[in-house]
Amino acid sequence: MTIAILRADVWLRTSPRAVPFDAMDNPVTKTPTVSVALLFDQFADGVYTLGYRILGDRHLAEDVVQETFIKVMRSLDTYRGDGPIAAWLYRIGYREAITVSRRRRETPLAPDEMLETGDRPITSVEDAVLASELTRRLDAAIARLAEPLRSAFVLRDIEQLSTAEVAQTLDVSESAVKMRLARARQALRVDLKEYLA
Amino acid sequence: MIMACDQLDTLLPEFFDGTLTAEQEAAAADHLATCTDCRTVVSELEGVGSLYRTHGRLKLPNDARERIREALGLNES
Repeated sequence: MTIAILRADVWLRTSPRAVPFDAMDNPVTKTPTVSVALLFDQFADGVYTLGYRILGDRHLAEDVVQETFIKVMRSLDTYRGDGPIAAWLYRIGYREAITVSRRRRETPLAPDEMLETGDRPITSVEDAVLASELTRRLDAAIARLAEPLRSAFVLRDIEQLSTAEVAQTLDVSESAVKMRLARARQALRVDLKEYLA
Repeated sequence: MIMACDQLDTLLPEFFDGTLTAEQEAAAADHLATCTDCRTVVSELEGVGSLYRTHGRLKLPNDARERIREALGLNES
């Protein structure tokens, strides 16, 4: 299968944060390139996190990752670098997750079903118990947010995109992102007060 | 510029984005130096993000990672 590539200079120009990658030389043009494999390594966990937080289902989130990168593969060579690549890629993932969510008629997330400690590094039995309780609370709290607030919070505060990148990803204004973030952070602060002392 | 609690509340998005003007930033710092309630709010709001970055970011399971890499043809040399 041909792997779509992106010129590394476009990547660097459009990615304000330092993103570690090993540029490969395109054998034809001798231009440094970034492959889908490198994008996958860099963003798969983030797209999975976004998909899971929107859908609340591990297997659907995995499907979102796969479909997202199939679309990335198909369209990467047409990406013109007219915006941050993180926003471009997360936007594909976000749209995929929303499509899946609508397809299954948007059932509310069940907080008790959100715990997926297997996806997180656990070092001991005691740690696992503590992590289980904390992550259960974190999962339940974020699941209670309306989807627009949840997606903005995941992209800005967990995946650490800039406000402008989140706005591009969600196709809303920066002021809308700021409003959603303020509401999400405040709701989570109230919900998780005992962990924030 | 003297900043009140509700004014700081209004500017919190810019405060966390680091996009306050120099004047706003100085006023916010002055306010936080004297207002325990606002210091608590800011600290807790910062804590929310920190909690989720540490414990709320998920890792694509290895079996799924390998399956998807295979499906995408990324394991081919």
